[in-house]
Amino acid sequence: MLSPLVSDQTTAVAVSALKAQQARMRIVAENLANADSTATTKGGDPYRRQVPVFTTSKIDGATGVKLAQVVPDQTAFVQEYDPSNPAADANGNVKRPNVDPLMETMDMRDAQRAYEANISVIENASAMTEKTLDILSK
Amino acid sequence: MDQGISLLSALKSQMGWLSDRQKVVSQNVANASTPGFKPKDLAPLDFAALMSGQSAPVVPTIRLMDGTPLAAPDATAHGSKQITSPDSETTMDGNSVVLEEEMLKMSDSRQNFEAAVGFYEKAQDLIRMAAKAPGK
Repeated sequence: MLSPLVSDQTTAVAVSALKAQQARMRIVAENLANADSTATTKGGDPYRRQVPVFTTSKIDGATGVKLAQVVPDQTAFVQEYDPSNPAADANGNVKRPNVDPLMETMDMRDAQRAYEANISVIENASAMTEKTLDILSK
Repeated sequence: MDQGISLLSALKSQMGWLSDRQKVVSQNVANASTPGFKPKDLAPLDFAALMSGQSAPVVPTIRLMDGTPLAAPDATAHGSKQITSPDSETTMDGNSVVLEEEMLKMSDSRQNFEAAVGFYEKAQDLIRMAAKAPGK
């Protein structure tokens, strides 16, 4: 069994990051889409924000990244007075989801930046390999 | 075991070191959002010392028959040594990767790699020229 080439490891690690950042974007999209999703029953809990948790993971012998778990954000729900809402409790208060669209937008920017950085790593690794193979053509 | 021509083997060590460094940088960039992650770098390679024969050329890692390497745990594929990068910015979750610094290391390594490949090709051309029969 051949051990992996260093340049293959470099690319594999960057690809693991691309996957992880894509998963993070998906969670951001879910949070944003449900930023206004209140409960359907009286006094029930609305949508709870989800937070991705990354950990390092061994990819081909190198240290890549993976989305280990998605945990619910334990920040308390804000109450809003809206008696006409079907989710209003006895006092007319409705619990709003604990999603802040501004935070999600910043998260999205960060995920995009990380994604671009990893693409750049893959391009560099493959340019270096091409240069090395050029020696053979001389 | 012959040591080979010193310029070529020094360049080979340099290229090995640079591609190891790319791997380390890619690990740092991949873990730019992982809580508690500290970026790593490689101990610098002294090319001048390699050329003048003062330090031994870096040999490829020896492997056992089943593929397990015999190298030290913190050594890379070409025998370079990993160190933890000095802290620049640690965020609240303990992650201290700075993407800009990693991008800088990456483009620096790539340029040095392309220069090393260029020198390698030129050295090969010289050898070919020297090996040609006179008058051909």
